[in-house]
Amino acid sequence: MSTQPFRLAAGGLIDRGRALDFSFDGTSYRGYAGDTLASALLANGVRLVGRSFKYHRPRGILSAGPEEPNALVELRSGARREPNTRATVVELFAGLDAASQNRWPSLAFDLLSINGLVSPALVAGFYYKTFMWPASFWEKLYEPLIRRAAGLGRAAGTEDPDHYEKAFAFCDLLVIGGGPAGLAAALAAGRSGARVILCDEDFRLGGRLLADKREIGGKPATEWLAATLAELESLPEVRIMPRTTVFGLYDHGIYGAVERVADHLPQPPAHLPRQRSWRIHARRAILAAGALERPIVFAGNDRPGVMLAGAVRAYVNRHGVLPGRETVLFTAGDDGWTTARDIAAVGGKVAAIIDSRSADPARKALADKLGARLFAGGAVLGARGGRQLGGVTIRDASGAVSELSCDLLAVSNGWNPTLHLTSHQNGKPAWDEDLQCFVPGTVPAGLAVAGSAAGRFTLAQALEDGARLGSEAAAEVGVAAKPAEAVPVTDPETNGLSPVWRVTGGKGKAFVDYQNDVTDKDVELAAREGFRPVEHLKRYTTLGMATDQGKTSNLAGLAIMAEQTGRTIPQTGTTTFRPPYTPVAIGALAGHHRGKDFRPVRLAPTHDWSKEQGAVFVEAGQWLRAQYYPRPGESDWLTTVNREVKAVRAGVGICDVSTLGKIDIQGADAAEFLERVYINGWKALPVGKARYGLMLREDGFVMDDGTTSRLGDSHFLMTTTTANAGKVMQHLEFCHQVLWPELDIRMVSVSEQWAQVAIAGPKARETLRGVVDPEHDLSNEGFPYLAARPVTVGGGIPARLFRISFSGELAYELAVPADYGDAMMRALMQAGAPFGITPYGTEALGVMRIEKGHVAGNELNGQTTARDLGLGRMMSAKKDFVGRLMAGRQALVEQDRPSFVGFKPVDPGQRLRAGAHFIGIGKAAVMENDEGYMTSVAYSPHLSHWMGLGLIKGGAARIGERVRAYDPVRNGDVVVEICSPVFVDPEGARLHG
Amino acid sequence: MRITCPHCGARDAQEFSYLGAADLQRPEGMAASEAAMATYVYQRDNPAGVHRELWYHAAGCHAWLVVTRDTRSHEITAVEVAKVRKAGATA
Amino acid sequence: MAETARSWAARGAWAGIAQAGQLGATGPAGVTATLLDGFGLATLIAAPGGAAALSQAIVARLGIALPAMPKIASSASHDVIWSGPDQWLLRATTREGFGSLLEALSAQAAVSDQSDARAALRLSGPRVRDVLAKGVMLDLHPAAFAVGDTGLTSIAHIGVHLWRLADGPDGSVFEIMVARSMVGSFWSWFAASAAEFGCRVSTGRG
Repeated sequence: MSTQPFRLAAGGLIDRGRALDFSFDGTSYRGYAGDTLASALLANGVRLVGRSFKYHRPRGILSAGPEEPNALVELRSGARREPNTRATVVELFAGLDAASQNRWPSLAFDLLSINGLVSPALVAGFYYKTFMWPASFWEKLYEPLIRRAAGLGRAAGTEDPDHYEKAFAFCDLLVIGGGPAGLAAALAAGRSGARVILCDEDFRLGGRLLADKREIGGKPATEWLAATLAELESLPEVRIMPRTTVFGLYDHGIYGAVERVADHLPQPPAHLPRQRSWRIHARRAILAAGALERPIVFAGNDRPGVMLAGAVRAYVNRHGVLPGRETVLFTAGDDGWTTARDIAAVGGKVAAIIDSRSADPARKALADKLGARLFAGGAVLGARGGRQLGGVTIRDASGAVSELSCDLLAVSNGWNPTLHLTSHQNGKPAWDEDLQCFVPGTVPAGLAVAGSAAGRFTLAQALEDGARLGSEAAAEVGVAAKPAEAVPVTDPETNGLSPVWRVTGGKGKAFVDYQNDVTDKDVELAAREGFRPVEHLKRYTTLGMATDQGKTSNLAGLAIMAEQTGRTIPQTGTTTFRPPYTPVAIGALAGHHRGKDFRPVRLAPTHDWSKEQGAVFVEAGQWLRAQYYPRPGESDWLTTVNREVKAVRAGVGICDVSTLGKIDIQGADAAEFLERVYINGWKALPVGKARYGLMLREDGFVMDDGTTSRLGDSHFLMTTTTANAGKVMQHLEFCHQVLWPELDIRMVSVSEQWAQVAIAGPKARETLRGVVDPEHDLSNEGFPYLAARPVTVGGGIPARLFRISFSGELAYELAVPADYGDAMMRALMQAGAPFGITPYGTEALGVMRIEKGHVAGNELNGQTTARDLGLGRMMSAKKDFVGRLMAGRQALVEQDRPSFVGFKPVDPGQRLRAGAHFIGIGKAAVMENDEGYMTSVAYSPHLSHWMGLGLIKGGAARIGERVRAYDPVRNGDVVVEICSPVFVDPEGARLHG
Repeated sequence: MRITCPHCGARDAQEFSYLGAADLQRPEGMAASEAAMATYVYQRDNPAGVHRELWYHAAGCHAWLVVTRDTRSHEITAVEVAKVRKAGATA
Repeated sequence: MAETARSWAARGAWAGIAQAGQLGATGPAGVTATLLDGFGLATLIAAPGGAAALSQAIVARLGIALPAMPKIASSASHDVIWSGPDQWLLRATTREGFGSLLEALSAQAAVSDQSDARAALRLSGPRVRDVLAKGVMLDLHPAAFAVGDTGLTSIAHIGVHLWRLADGPDGSVFEIMVARSMVGSFWSWFAASAAEFGCRVSTGRG
């Protein structure tokens, strides 16, 4: 176990009493509770943590936060392996197992770093220019090569064993960021009683107060922090959510956030999700997300050991790690000096300070005090070293170049406000010339920006903004704000800055975008080749397109482009951002909805009975329906289905039809309403009778069909197809509420109330006799075809009986309250046992309806009219109905429009395929010769050959003619004869039996 | 998006389904012309700006609503119940 | 109705889906769930302009008025729950006599029996809102969703009807009704969501 050679002897917000052992690339290390993976690696002297995307250059840790472009690792192993995790935000836990990525075969010795040697080939636009020809090379050569050579981490490749959740929250005020501004805002609003949610992506609240040694109210800021957190926790309407990143802002005050519930543990504890995605509805929000520090572009600025100065400070002050023995500071402003001061304060050596600004006596004095050489007006030309920084080449104010050795180069170039969320709703950032950064410009309604995120970088401003905006938000949502307390005094601070976008003249690559390996030369190339607008620059060079979305690179890229084109930065463009702020796992967004819970499944009241009978189920819309009921010894589904069909036609079978949509329609105008929504007439339908109905869309195409029964003068029960139930209900509500609100119609779905079963076959009546209470007459005369009446079953249970048939057999549908659905199936099985009663599924149902030439979903496919389906004569000429006029359009009534007929193979041994297109015999299989297509096919055990239904030009007029049924997808080419769609019992003798 | 249903209150847009322009008049009766019906079925404006449109509160009260929405900003300035628009109709 | 003569076994909406016991974390239950069964339920839709008359009829029979807003009004044996404009659910704690009540009301309303159409669940316990927050897109804060409030919405893409009853010994009480066919998927969501807090499941009537 290593000894953490870079850990300071004391200090930091880590728990030295809780040592945590972890491994990186197979080597064991030790860190402490409160560490991030990055701080623990640095404590152990690990500098090289990854290889870059394109050139495989050695990379270390640049930052201490979410903007990290370099230190991306694979976390955990096996099914939990998670690629592209930023080491700077991974909370250390015991047993953490991390691996570097994008290296081959090993991190230290990477064969593909040769990419760096052939790098002229990998400049901006490389893919566009190189991999153009021949096209076939893409799949076979280029893409595999690129995928091996350039890339990020590997996905686990197996199912994620953890579960995820979604959740919804509502608040008066959402505070995004738990630094000084956010804490002050939450406190001000929370004290007034407002419902506040405070989110911070870190596992510890405090923001920069954790990383900087500051004073508030004359005391260390940590004391203010502790007192503030304690008070917030005591407020019942304030919810503090650490480890929660607000990643997006959406319409109407909806914020997306992801809570890392168990990412800081080896695996989630029982019953806890790994992550939870939140949709937060906030009446007001305050963005207090702070700022991100900017690197400087110079040769070798990606060497492990080159770090942001603010990050160095965070490691020193928060984690008790000084990540170098000998530090050089390259700063463009006052903030970098704080890092030098803090390093010196813990006994570290600051060898030199290169301040890009001209000489200043006060800074000279401070440098002397720190024991550092000062190069005022100087610059770092280049950093050298391979896996570890060895030194820097500097140029002083006179232009003289010299070498300094160091193992840590802290770079300070000012900060960019973390304004990402302000631009998620088309907000445009504005350039602030004084601050030399983009600040929030147009900000979405309901959002205010506080502190550094607004470009107000001092601690005093952060506290002031937070308190003021927090109180204002509470007042705006109507909570009586308490008088604001005086903002506490902070220690003095200065923010002088003269940013340096890049230093030219060094040797080697100077990186703008670390993660995508975009150099200053790439930006220059884009400028020369005319890709000057910022959107072109981005796409041509891939600048800002990596998983970090350019958090450290966008501004430098703009600045170099501005310099190249003689424009200012705001003239060149702005940086706008889209959600998510940082990457979000798809699993968190899916939440509970994966696998069997991908979407809701609907089960019929007879489902458990069907399962008991061995049913194989099939998805029909949201429903699971019994498809067929295999018996032992039946090796394929066709054998089973043939048996079921034969059993029905010879005796009796039962099939659940509970899934059909059932709509109760009442009201004085119920019949009138049906006249308007169906193509056929309803006013003359007697009470106690059912009728087949067909409804069109207003454009004249068929929408749905089903039987509707008249239960009373002003009371109908409509049935819809299983798949269209919801759509039809919505359509009927539209017709009623929007088209004809003057009608007295009262509709409600009763689909869930009834368990319904089809009883079909010559023995259907005798079977039914055994379950319907004896006082009800079931004789052919007493209960004729299309009768629809209430009956009782099982000794007084109210039921509805319909004599309707989809199979062409004597058939009924019996509906009972759903609680009795299971009992109904059992009673029918018992009553039908003497007749060999057989449960049948949707397959056999389909075979029998095809044998009878009934249309179903395959024919009601949204492209067919009533005429196409041979149902044109149903259209009443005496009344208006939805779709009437459009169905009469010339193109929809032309004679050669494909219409509905049956098909049988000329060679009875041949199989038919749905989807096959009809082509004239001897004609080429080209679009011009297409005459229509097969909609449904089945093997008929009655006929002992395959049969089909379909639509063909000329339709019934061509019965007897032969055509090809051509199915290139499955190599089908069968000669078929056009025939009547009714294959079985065309006289209908069975139906009326 | 949030739509404030006049019956149910503010709800997520996913509770609703969208239909389109709200102020079309269906040509009613046997005397209606095919041309008028074709216009009703197919002709739509596609405004960049304020749009009155029909939404159905499918997961809520099943009411058809007329929502006035700015298609550029998604700002919703009014939500009415479709059924009470026609004179003489009762809620 | 010859209820006593019935020879068929009724099977409620929860059968085969959920049963009494403990879900998820052990220890004191954060949530208590009661699977409700055996209630009578019907949709009542008033005729155009007939809501007041229907309400009077309900007051006369049950002593409760129909709420004009998304609210629930309850007597000891019945609830009327707003379920859309001019539309209510009438619930009885028992199905005894429910048929004749519906018969009587059918003069004033379109009545559709829905007794078997919904699965109902009563929820309470200190963490009940935390569980509901994992699926309900409504603000259920006590100040935003008061006792007697009801909402038609969805949970995990499943349509639900929920309301808040008078507080019980362990705080707020909610009831949720869900379409019978969806109750398996609903329970899958509920069990996963409540597991973290531990849930005691029991069965009950009404």
